[in-house]
Amino acid sequence: MLRETDGGMSYFLLIAIPVLAFCLPVMASEFEVMSMSKFDVNGQNFGSRQSSISLEARSLYSWNTSRHCVLTRLINLSVNDFDKIRQNAGGLIIMLPSDIMKLDAEAKEHIAVLEQAMLTHTGAVPIYFAPYNINLEKIIDEITYTTIKASSQNQTSVAQLIMSVSANGYHATVGGTNKVANKNSKIPIIYGELLSNQLHLKANDNAVDAHKLPVILITATLKTFGVFNDYPVNADVTVLLALIEMFSKLHSTTNMAPNYRLIFMISDTGLLLNFQGSKKWLEIDDNSALQNVEFVLCLDTIIESLSSNPDMDMYMHVSKPPKEKTSISHFFKLLKSTAEKYNITVEGVHKKINLADSKLAWEHERFSIKRYPSFTLSSLKSHRSPSRTTIFKDDETRILTHTLIASRIVAEALASFMYKMEPTTSIFDGQFAIKEENVLPYFGIKSVLHNNDLKDAFEKYLNNVKIIYDKADSRDPDFMFYNENDVKLNVYRVKPAIFDIFLTILIGFYLLTVFFGIQYFPLFYDKVSRLTRDDTSVQTNGHYPERLKFK
Amino acid sequence: MTLYHFGNCVALLMPYYFTYKYSGLSEYGAFWKCIQAGGIYIFTQLCKMLVLATFFYSDTSSTGNGEFNFFAEIFRCSVDIADLLGFALILSRIPGKGHSKLITAGLGWATAEVILSRGIMLWVGARGTEFSWIYILKCLESNVMLVQHISTATLIWLFTRHDLNKALKPLVSVLLAVTVFKGVWLEGLLHILTIGPWLTIAVKALVAAVIGFCTLHIYSGLAQQIGI
Repeated sequence: MLRETDGGMSYFLLIAIPVLAFCLPVMASEFEVMSMSKFDVNGQNFGSRQSSISLEARSLYSWNTSRHCVLTRLINLSVNDFDKIRQNAGGLIIMLPSDIMKLDAEAKEHIAVLEQAMLTHTGAVPIYFAPYNINLEKIIDEITYTTIKASSQNQTSVAQLIMSVSANGYHATVGGTNKVANKNSKIPIIYGELLSNQLHLKANDNAVDAHKLPVILITATLKTFGVFNDYPVNADVTVLLALIEMFSKLHSTTNMAPNYRLIFMISDTGLLLNFQGSKKWLEIDDNSALQNVEFVLCLDTIIESLSSNPDMDMYMHVSKPPKEKTSISHFFKLLKSTAEKYNITVEGVHKKINLADSKLAWEHERFSIKRYPSFTLSSLKSHRSPSRTTIFKDDETRILTHTLIASRIVAEALASFMYKMEPTTSIFDGQFAIKEENVLPYFGIKSVLHNNDLKDAFEKYLNNVKIIYDKADSRDPDFMFYNENDVKLNVYRVKPAIFDIFLTILIGFYLLTVFFGIQYFPLFYDKVSRLTRDDTSVQTNGHYPERLKFK
Repeated sequence: MTLYHFGNCVALLMPYYFTYKYSGLSEYGAFWKCIQAGGIYIFTQLCKMLVLATFFYSDTSSTGNGEFNFFAEIFRCSVDIADLLGFALILSRIPGKGHSKLITAGLGWATAEVILSRGIMLWVGARGTEFSWIYILKCLESNVMLVQHISTATLIWLFTRHDLNKALKPLVSVLLAVTVFKGVWLEGLLHILTIGPWLTIAVKALVAAVIGFCTLHIYSGLAQQIGI
């Protein structure tokens, strides 16, 4: 009976126990990582091309071959280091700071510059970003510390041997297959028109056909990624939506007939994708909006998301200096005087379009090439500023206040222009005031297609809302995105081979001790027996010591 | 870490082989007996599992956090009394003479325990990429467990003997109780002291040595008395 159960049960156990053992937590340290964005524009490749890492982790100061994966903090990495690693190392894992806000101005600028350098180059090695993690920080500290210790001590060979035995190595692995090009890469573009109050127009005798009125086109780009796949701050879109909301309110209540049509356009592109969205939009055949354009107002980085400067500036970028009495110069004056009310100076910046460049500097250049009067409003003076493509954001309250101010300035200047009023009159007061609660929800917009948020917002206020897509050409794509998988970084603690040999020697000694212990156990047993012997009758049978060998 | 490291860990289990080889078990062809003892170990563990699963509140989640739950440990150790019954079963079922009988029981039991509870962990873990001292520590602990199990087998044997000196009977019972409830008092103590893993092994080895010495002392007295 016993034997039967015994056999059957042990089989069961042999299955059950391995299953239990597999459930034991494996000691590897696992971290979330985000891979560097990978995309192609105009045949140029950006981002890291490879994705899997299985290499020894080294610090920024100790790596030297392509068999090392560099593990470092973002703030410690310099552009120079990055260039070297990009070409020679085996991989790069960058830990982001825990709180960007706490960094000083210099560090913020450094991050932005580094980010720009990353975005303008192809990385031949896999590059990953890890969010701040206390365990990862410990590992980085440890690899940095051991190398410093090793280099500072030029001691005897024995000391070095002990060092190499006691040293902890780390092995970093990131799984994942290479990113696959998404053949269906497309850029959505949404646009809609704010019609002027039809009833009111008809009541007026001098009404012209609403569709014949000159057009003011307001555009913004929606950044959907940065150096890694995350959502950057899109203050431009927020300002644009605030404008839509305000002018829609104004049009439905005011008894002044606007002399312009307002068309709003948002595309999922931006500087990184060379404003492909605007290009596509300009190519639409029956684009009635382009018949009679007064001017095109582009918003680009109207608020810096990562800035050390608490004040706000505004610049108007044009491709050629506006002549007197053109609508742009008129608007510029209005903008200037409006901004003065908020103690903000507006400067005009003139930069010629360089057609030889592979990438355009500003979105308005797309329109200027087609000879539409256009300009860009931005908080940045130079088109090379790294803030334009940053994914990081610091102080959200600052961003919010600046967004409110920017929305007010643009809205008031635009209203003054459209209704031909003095800029000193305040239209956007009282019920038309742009408040925080108007603006705040718009920061949540992540993409044109995300949850239909943008579509719903457009359809609420605008007419003729359409979404079109710029699809990548199958043979010669202008741009290409890559599918991204969720990947994990595993950092394993490893020991050098010499350590194992060292351990073997130690175990050898131990075993030798145990061996002799067992060999001499009979002697020990004899001693114990002698202790027990209360009576002196020593029985030394001939076989007794032999039997003792069992023990 | 590597297969080599796994080899190191397995080498640490060599004392099991030494015990088998140099205590004379090999000369008696006690291999099959050891396997039988291992089989009884498996059977006992299964019974324990059934009892634990049926009557006790599952607290695997709380023990997983490294907390020490005193009452849960007492409950668990009280089920460990089944281990003693298992030993008694081995001693009564498996024929053998004198010292070899006890060593067979202890060695078979300990080997089955090592293979079943450590084997997979070593195979998966020690060969894995991550280096950890835990595998070396577990293997060293297995050596301590070998001594422990052989003394437990001896204590059970002593307990079942009627010709044991009456004065020693309470001492044997106390030693058995100490062995069974080691999970409570020793682990609890180590938990309170919060000493490092290496010292923990050392303390366990010391405790096993003390129990082992007491057992050997009593055993040698009885062995001489009955002349084995």
